[in-house]
Amino acid sequence: MGPLSRETWAQRLGAFRASPSAFMAGPEGEDLGRDLLSDLRSEKLSEQTKVSLLALSLEYPAELWPDTPAAEAAVTSLLDTLDLLPPRSSALRRPLLLAATTALVAGGALGPTSGASLRLLPLLLGLASGRALGQGIGPSSEQRPLQATACECLRELESCKPGLLGGYLGLLRGLLGQGGPVGPVQPLSLLLALALRNTLAIQARARASLQGLLTARVSPTGGGPWNWTLAEEGDAHLQPQVSPWLASEEEECGLSALEPSPEEALELRAAVAQLLDTSYLLTPVAQAQLLWQLGWALRGLRGQLPVLFKPQLVRLLGTAQLTLLHAVLALKAAFGEALFTAQDEALLLHRLILAAQHPALPLPAHLFYLHCLLSFPENCPLGPTGEEALPLLLEPQLCCGLLPSLLLDPMALLARLHLLCLLCAEDEEKEEKGQGQSPRRYLEELLASLWQRAALHGGPRALATLCFQASYLVAHCLAGQPTVLRPLIRGLAHLYRARPVLAPHFVDLLDQVGSELGEPLRVVLQQEVVSRPGGDEALGWHLQMLAKVADRDAQSATLSFLQAAAVHCTNWGLQQALLQVCRALLRAGVGGGLADLLQALARQLEDPDGRDHARLYYILLSHLSAPKLGVALGPSLVVPALASSLVAENQGFAATLMVQEAPAPIQLSVGARRAEGPVPVLQLQVEVLEPVYSLELRFRVEGQLYAPLGAVHVPCLCPGRPARPLLLPLQPRRPAPTQLDIRALYTTTTGLTCYAHLPPLPVNFADLFLPFPQPPEGATLGFFEELWESCLPKGTESRLWCPLGPQGLEDLVSRHLEPFVVVAQPPTSYHIAIRLPPDSRLLLRLEKAQAEGVPVVLRTDDWSVLPLVGDYLRGLATAV
Amino acid sequence: MAQRAVWLISHEPGTPLCGIVRFSRRYPTVEKRAKVFNGASYVPIPEDGPFLKSLLFELRLLDEDKDFTESRDSCSRINKTSIYGLPVGGEELWPVVAFLKNGIIYACVPLVEQTLSPRPPLISISAISQGFELLFGVQDFLYSGQKNDTELNTKLSQLPDLLLQACPFGTLLDANLQNSLDSINFASVTHPQKQPAWKAGTYKGKPQVSISITEKVKSMQYDKQDIADTWQVVGTVTCKCDLEGIMPNVTISLSLPTNGSPLQDILVHPCVTSLDSAILTSSSIDAMDDSAFSGPYKFPFSPPLESFNLCYYTSQVPVPPILGFYQMKEEEVQLKIMVNLKLHESVKNNFEFCEAHIPFYNRGPITQVEYKVSFGQLEVFREKSLLIWIIGQKFPKSMEISLSATITFGAKNHAKQPFDHICIGGTAYLKLHFRILDYTLTGCYADQHSVQVFASGKPKISTHRKLISSEYYIWNSKAPAPVTYGSLLL
Repeated sequence: MGPLSRETWAQRLGAFRASPSAFMAGPEGEDLGRDLLSDLRSEKLSEQTKVSLLALSLEYPAELWPDTPAAEAAVTSLLDTLDLLPPRSSALRRPLLLAATTALVAGGALGPTSGASLRLLPLLLGLASGRALGQGIGPSSEQRPLQATACECLRELESCKPGLLGGYLGLLRGLLGQGGPVGPVQPLSLLLALALRNTLAIQARARASLQGLLTARVSPTGGGPWNWTLAEEGDAHLQPQVSPWLASEEEECGLSALEPSPEEALELRAAVAQLLDTSYLLTPVAQAQLLWQLGWALRGLRGQLPVLFKPQLVRLLGTAQLTLLHAVLALKAAFGEALFTAQDEALLLHRLILAAQHPALPLPAHLFYLHCLLSFPENCPLGPTGEEALPLLLEPQLCCGLLPSLLLDPMALLARLHLLCLLCAEDEEKEEKGQGQSPRRYLEELLASLWQRAALHGGPRALATLCFQASYLVAHCLAGQPTVLRPLIRGLAHLYRARPVLAPHFVDLLDQVGSELGEPLRVVLQQEVVSRPGGDEALGWHLQMLAKVADRDAQSATLSFLQAAAVHCTNWGLQQALLQVCRALLRAGVGGGLADLLQALARQLEDPDGRDHARLYYILLSHLSAPKLGVALGPSLVVPALASSLVAENQGFAATLMVQEAPAPIQLSVGARRAEGPVPVLQLQVEVLEPVYSLELRFRVEGQLYAPLGAVHVPCLCPGRPARPLLLPLQPRRPAPTQLDIRALYTTTTGLTCYAHLPPLPVNFADLFLPFPQPPEGATLGFFEELWESCLPKGTESRLWCPLGPQGLEDLVSRHLEPFVVVAQPPTSYHIAIRLPPDSRLLLRLEKAQAEGVPVVLRTDDWSVLPLVGDYLRGLATAV
Repeated sequence: MAQRAVWLISHEPGTPLCGIVRFSRRYPTVEKRAKVFNGASYVPIPEDGPFLKSLLFELRLLDEDKDFTESRDSCSRINKTSIYGLPVGGEELWPVVAFLKNGIIYACVPLVEQTLSPRPPLISISAISQGFELLFGVQDFLYSGQKNDTELNTKLSQLPDLLLQACPFGTLLDANLQNSLDSINFASVTHPQKQPAWKAGTYKGKPQVSISITEKVKSMQYDKQDIADTWQVVGTVTCKCDLEGIMPNVTISLSLPTNGSPLQDILVHPCVTSLDSAILTSSSIDAMDDSAFSGPYKFPFSPPLESFNLCYYTSQVPVPPILGFYQMKEEEVQLKIMVNLKLHESVKNNFEFCEAHIPFYNRGPITQVEYKVSFGQLEVFREKSLLIWIIGQKFPKSMEISLSATITFGAKNHAKQPFDHICIGGTAYLKLHFRILDYTLTGCYADQHSVQVFASGKPKISTHRKLISSEYYIWNSKAPAPVTYGSLLL
């Protein structure tokens, strides 16, 4: 594609600027960077157009050449273009240098392995030192601006890669020279100051000395390779700045690690003095930059260096220049008493107070100075750092001109109101002296005027906002002062009476302020609303207000207000607002009268949605306990950002009123057997992983083997607290083992009702064993024989071999069958009688044990239990 | 100390976006540093469209401020400086320096050379004041001598080139853009080595020095027992020095007559090389005593090429030049007003003009006026609900004049009649506008003979003085009026 015309480029650049991302995503995006580079060499385009192309590359290099190789290639191309320029004067050289520098940094290509860097750096240094490497770049008339530009480019490179010029400090000092500078003073001074600061910081971090860096005179035209030593050191990379305001002691020690030798200290002093002495030749903003840099460079360095700044201070303090005064404050923060005596500090503070109100300065400057005043870097700070506070030296009478008045711009009013609040806070501490106008009375009057303005019918929203911001500020700063809060509450109530349309502001204020103001204000506003007739034209606002402030107090007044209001709630919006209040009352736990009101609403409201809601609230009120109600109506945990409040509300209900299925935090196990009582009872051990309330355990047995089991209720279980075992009576219809299916229903600490399916529990055959009633002493044998005989002929007899473990017969009996033994003749024979509910019996005769087992004769009146008995007896030896 | 981006936005209420980005400039190398310095708290600079929208919302300049919007109107969102945090794409871009002046919003984003969470105090960010200075510089450039929109557009079109000169990499080199413009033009001239950066070239031609002192007097008068009237003089000394040589030295002395009021709160131009400590310490903040320094006030300096403000001062003169009262009473459908003005005998009775503007806010148009003036004429602007009393060039011999009038208003129409949130009910003011040439209220003057110039050739020295009223209010004494703290210190 041939070079584009001027018009095409203008159009293209316009489209790009309108939205760079959209343009780059479009079809032309990909070629833009390439076309730009090639058209810079086009002979058809004017210099002006080319400058505009370069201007674009200065702003959007990352879009044009998105990766490092592309950036590297672009810089090379830009430098080639520079070389190809005819020797006559051209407007392109400066922007080409700027563009190459920008592309190199933005593309991340700057470094010792980059060819473009190795071309650009010597070129810039050559230009900066006034010798253009013999290449004769541009005519002599252009040398001075190019020299300045080269310095700026080097400064930018040094900013992005600290230490880059560390090896050239001596050279730069030479250029500023004793016998008059060999170039424009400002760019060279700023470059030297930055390089000096970075070098000192790097050397201090590396615990290295200055190594003669200040004096080494490297020739820029020597053609030797670029000195990357300092820039490539481990600690040299760009690091967040530690500002003089935030520096702690240890960080300062960092710089004091640098201990220059006496000669080095002398050189350093000379370099700083040289920079400061010619600083009046710099523009004010550049002077300020120089002072910040040198302040940063020398902070924490031992020696007499801060004194060097002293001669500059009087001159600087006299100006109105924002940057200069700010730089002086930075020096103050950096050096404190080493540079500013107590008198100097007072003078600086006076100048600051003056600047914060001087009629010749613009408002943004006033406000910034006021901030500086309240963040003043004091020699002996008392309060916590980082918060705006009154400096110790700032006596109240000095602030007279800085107090707020209604005629000010809102921002100025708030800033000065803050100051007034701080004064009032101090005033309270010092006790009132009763002289003149007290700041607190002035504050009251000011607030009163603000309320009056906000009460103005049809006034702009901004006035109301200002008034509430002021009220908030006062409440925030003077929360502990009832003498201030009382009139504040009165005034706000008055404002509400005058302009209920401000209800959203009141709600917001109540949300933001602490309880010192919030609670009494809520009460007053509630009274304010409920004392009105229901049919007010501002009813919607009253309801909105009431939904925020309604609580258990003043119930009857609130309810009668709502009753009166209900008649006037003729549209959907008002009805919803009314229901919102009901909802707030429900949450607050208001009962009795509210139920009547809700019932009435459920009948009377025109809108079916409103009626439904009223009915729902009524049902909730009548069915849920107060805490549960609170949770059900509380803010939903899953509020979707965009859904209406009704949707959110319904989701809240759904979450709270529905039973949630959850993984069980409960573990159940069967405890020791209790062979007693009329029916078998299972002892259950419960353990919980989290607190569980109102636990209900439901049990079910497959088929018709057992009669239905009752549920077990536990009011509360906590993890780690031992629980009493739960007793579960079993009613088997046949003596058979089974499995219990278990479900748990419980309430969590958050009020949700949950449901869980627990792992099934086995009911073993032995769990059903019950003993016979004990026969009288001496009649035991007869009793057993009687039972034994009664089993036949209906029942059956069987012989079994019961294996014995190592423990022997005696032990086996005592462990498993003890409660059922009727006649015992240890160790030779045992007669055992077991009752099997519902109405079966099992009788065992254990005879003399042999080596590995014992022969058992059994009789039962129930055939079906035989296999179970067999399994049971065979399992005894291995059972624990 | 650098800026990440700069914008100029014209505020155009009533248009769909309420504004247009007239100029913007981004600095990618600074952005690169921001990414490193801010770390996890880094928020990139948005494109112009989203920035415009977010800024206008934050500055409450969108038309849609009817409903309460928490993100803007919440009482805890308090800005006490012109520095904002803008919500952009779910994150907050901070700090954004921005202010509106003459329908243009000036904005920039200063680089913070540390992490942004927690937010460092503004005072610790060097680029904040640099950003302000850049924006003030652009504002001065756009509005110095600018008369109409065409000129403004021309100047706006020069901005890209100028910023390429004055702020090539986001670090401001010179806030005086006019100087940068000159240096582009002076580029071909060979420079001597000690050329100051704030002076683009050297002057060639007839040497002359012009000094003009402009004093503005403001006042708040209440005519009440418990509220003190206040007044203050604010002076500006402007110089234009056409002198040959690289750095010619000039000393200008301001003098006061024997009974003159001492100058206070003196702020000087950065070109002033040294300052007497008496000048530095004389301030209105401290209690005045008889030993106050009363001059001469010497200002040694080396002047820049262009016209500049050598110094500003304030002064507390013993009496206001015109003392008056204003009484307004509402009687059924009519307003009755009475105004009395008295020129102090010490003041030069020779005005370029003198008028009293009497506006009526939050009312309908004027339908009928019956009036009596002891001097001058009354003009009635019915639709604007405004009376202008043209007093003319001189007060009569008695030095005292009065006006009484009865005014009837029509029905209020919000769109047409002026709204004011201070003048509620009976609260009302009249505002004096006057100018007196060749006169200062403090008596301050620059004696031609006291001007010392160390340069080749004897320069022609011209001096000018004038007094202008500014915010000169007389409040209705029959109703509450806004007061400053100073008025209550009786």
